[in-house]
Amino acid sequence: MKSTAGIVVSAVVVALLAALPWYGNTVMLQFGISVLLLATLAQGWNIIGGYTGYASFGNSVFYGLGAYGVAIAMTQFNLPFWVGMLLGLALAVVFAALLGLAVLRLRGHYFAIATLGLAFIMTAIVSNLEIAGRNIGLVLPLLKSDVLFYELALGLLVLVTLTVLWLSRSRFGLGLVAIRENEEGAAVMGVNTTLYKVLAFMLSAAFTGLAGGIYAYYITFIDPVGVFDVSLNVKMIIMAVFGGPGSVLGPVVGAFVLSTISEVLATKVTSFASMFFGIVIVIAVVFMPRGIAHLVENFRRTGWRYFAGNVRTHRL
Amino acid sequence: MATPATSSGSEHILDVRGVTKRFHGLVAVNDVTFHLRRGEILGLIGPNGAGKTTLVSMVNGTMQPSAGDILFEGQSVRALPAFRRAHLGIGRTFQVMKPFPGMSVLENASVGALFGAKGGEHSLRRAREQARESLEFVGLGKRITQRADALGGPDRKRLELAKALAMQPRLLLLDEVMAGLNHVEIEEVIEDIRKVRDRGISILVIEHVMKAITSLSDRVFVLHHGEKIVEGPTDEVLRDPRVVEAYLGKKRT
Repeated sequence: MKSTAGIVVSAVVVALLAALPWYGNTVMLQFGISVLLLATLAQGWNIIGGYTGYASFGNSVFYGLGAYGVAIAMTQFNLPFWVGMLLGLALAVVFAALLGLAVLRLRGHYFAIATLGLAFIMTAIVSNLEIAGRNIGLVLPLLKSDVLFYELALGLLVLVTLTVLWLSRSRFGLGLVAIRENEEGAAVMGVNTTLYKVLAFMLSAAFTGLAGGIYAYYITFIDPVGVFDVSLNVKMIIMAVFGGPGSVLGPVVGAFVLSTISEVLATKVTSFASMFFGIVIVIAVVFMPRGIAHLVENFRRTGWRYFAGNVRTHRL
Repeated sequence: MATPATSSGSEHILDVRGVTKRFHGLVAVNDVTFHLRRGEILGLIGPNGAGKTTLVSMVNGTMQPSAGDILFEGQSVRALPAFRRAHLGIGRTFQVMKPFPGMSVLENASVGALFGAKGGEHSLRRAREQARESLEFVGLGKRITQRADALGGPDRKRLELAKALAMQPRLLLLDEVMAGLNHVEIEEVIEDIRKVRDRGISILVIEHVMKAITSLSDRVFVLHHGEKIVEGPTDEVLRDPRVVEAYLGKKRT
């Protein structure tokens, strides 16, 4: 991206999004909140999954912890929302540090499976905690202000995207990519791989937890099965991978495109929506397995052969 | 950990003392002792499977020795992880190369510059400069924007060397950097290694290319079945009957 043009375009897009409450209707606003939160989650996953190369299924746990941080602070202690956000943030980040030290030594599928197991464990644990309302869940005070939640979600998305932008051009970020590309090679060249992996996991957890916090206050009711939902983690991965993992804007574009497709399908063909959505995913994986970002980078050079080339190289 | 520098510590950059590596029952390296003087090129030769790569891996921290000690500039580094040894100034190349395939050639070397000796150069711009320098040194100056996995075999070898050099090491461990190169390329790399030594970097060279060993090494030691069998000036060692036997088998008379 040519820097000045890129900055101008990005600023205009953000301004247009920020102004949505003044020209959009309630439906658009609610759809917007959900898309912005999903984009934040996909971008958060991008830090550990896309840049560092560790396919985490534990991010839905960070999301749930963020949500419970807000819910517990507000319902059990009558604390203001922002204190709850800090509590959720702390829970998610501390948990990521402890978990990271334990499971980031596993690679590939083993890491994915270990983090996957965790989501189920957390559901069971929280279902038995008195302070978290056991398996019944917690009801938060009602705040009817979609505009506030919308702008908060947008702010968080901008923040996580700026963080990833910094990552893409910093020493720290290059260290993470080196770990993804060859972990042993990175260590031999002086990268403190354990520290870097845990820091990336914590960073990923921070944004994911904050998104969970906003969601909890917005939706006003949370229960363990709902917020520690592994399928949400799968969504993050699909969106990030669809858009282009390890790129700055890919996961955001992926979240916007897939959410829109899924929304349009749901209104047009209601009962078959998820089937069509599945078909879209399959087509995307076959023809552009490395995501939108990679497609945009290479399409100009190769043209339509890009798709044929992907089918050939991946032998589908 | 902080063993005070002895008189030998100032003269030897590397002291390997009685190092052993066992893989379950198998003894890959058995009680090997050797040292490397400052500014010296030491050759390490031996038949396939002699334990050369294992020995180098214990020096740079990729593997932990089962017994023995390793002193770098008079201090034991045995308990340090690989990245800390890189910070101290130990750089290595791998026989089975370890490039970062999805990164550009420049980025590959930049990782070395950013994280290498003394924790690396923290400014991205200066690190790139440093990386570009080492890439030009090995003759990859024209390929810096290419992806590493687009390079051919010989260029991958060069990249492996450039990555290690970009770390600005004081001790360089070269594990078969010439394997697979043709005669002209080998001459170039020999010349490069000489220039590296002239900068004051001490070098341990593992090589099967005998021409490289004879023209570069100040001394040579030979590993056979994980044990050091001979050590000394290069031409003497290569004439030693034990070395001939290790490579060619016993003479039948």
